[in-house]
Amino acid sequence: MDPTRSPLIHNPRTLNELSLLFQRIEDPILWAGGTYLMSQKEYYPSTSNHHIIDLGSIEELKRISRTDRYLEIGVMVTASSLLSGGKLVLPTILKEALGSLISQITRRQITIGGSVCEPESRLAFSTALSVLDAQAELRQWEDGRFSATWVPVNRLYNKDGSLISRSSPYVLTKIRIGLEWGDFQRFVWIDNAIRDPETAVLVAFQATRTQTTITHARFSASFPKRAFYLANEVSNQLAGLSLPVHPDEVNTISYELMHDLQNRHDTISEFQAERTRRVFESFLHELNTHALSY
Amino acid sequence: MKLECIIDSKSLTLNVNSTKPLSLILIEDVGIKSMLSHCQGKACGNCIVLVNDVATLSCIVPAFRLKDAKIRTFETFQRTRLCRDIERAYRVNGNKPCPDCYASKTLLIESIVTELMAHTQSREEGIVDEAMILQELNLNTCPCMDKTELLGITIQAFEYRRRRRGSN
Repeated sequence: MDPTRSPLIHNPRTLNELSLLFQRIEDPILWAGGTYLMSQKEYYPSTSNHHIIDLGSIEELKRISRTDRYLEIGVMVTASSLLSGGKLVLPTILKEALGSLISQITRRQITIGGSVCEPESRLAFSTALSVLDAQAELRQWEDGRFSATWVPVNRLYNKDGSLISRSSPYVLTKIRIGLEWGDFQRFVWIDNAIRDPETAVLVAFQATRTQTTITHARFSASFPKRAFYLANEVSNQLAGLSLPVHPDEVNTISYELMHDLQNRHDTISEFQAERTRRVFESFLHELNTHALSY
Repeated sequence: MKLECIIDSKSLTLNVNSTKPLSLILIEDVGIKSMLSHCQGKACGNCIVLVNDVATLSCIVPAFRLKDAKIRTFETFQRTRLCRDIERAYRVNGNKPCPDCYASKTLLIESIVTELMAHTQSREEGIVDEAMILQELNLNTCPCMDKTELLGITIQAFEYRRRRRGSN
């Protein structure tokens, strides 16, 4: 029984064809892997009249390329093919983030673009990308043509983790990651982001060190449907810190992180904040252990 | 939309809504009896089928992505030799999934075994990543069996498959 009219599906093969569709169709739904769209209550049957643009046939969006300085990933690359194809070039933190996506079966369907754009930011990929200073290429449809801009991944989101809305329609085409990253990388996820969004915490951390000093650090955490957090102040505080860090200082910094997190995001629970603090603390203890075992 | 595909070796032309999930097509339009639930994409893991020989959650595949696809449900998979490896592992371990998730868990184990076989070059290579298998098994949320028991069954089925490949 199909009570509603079938929405029209468009299958552009190139970005040019996509631009023509942007000209003709008002407010289309861009379809990447579809895992998020299809998990919505109102997905089917639906009374929506929006046309669907299926990005699955655009080969340009399925490429992974590497230059001397960057790794560029097309947004229609699936999590599973990125894991297998990019095994040797991907940073550990990204591999762990991709590996955390439920199972191989869903990873075959989840696309990189979908996991970055998915509005509830419940997936791990963007958390890992934001600590890697990754950039996203946006093609914005303005004055009858596409114009491309690169935006840092963490600037794609509001503080509640939803995508920042833009004045004109746009499509995300590539993710660019620099090839220099920290020698200490950790990605931790607690609870399933899809099944237990109230308690789930996704945390990414990377640091560059010399033998006795942290020279650069970035910490990011996301809380499904609630918050997207990049700890800029704490990261600045960590840079230049001598290793090993005194346990009292570890304690102080981790509580500062927790207060900063709670001040900026009152939507997250005390339990999630405490979880984040402890994970962060464990990273600092691990850095200490490494420093002491040199 | 008019959807032409092959379901359980039968060429079918179906008239369905272009966004209809495969799980609902199989339940409502084809009448597949092994498909018992439609969780609306909540990843309950009870609707696994093979699409072009790849294990897929049918609740997150829309009709418009199925043009000319070859879909195999548990109803034809259970008649294959591949399924017998898994059934034998159930028997040896003395337990099997409940009727609600039997089809899905079996196809899930099949997809893990296929994945393990793809990474096993020779008959002697016998290292299995148990953490990976447990993570894959978590896809099915039916609590009828303990995960460690399912892990044992999966490793056993993999062992049977390897032996069979070795003897071929």
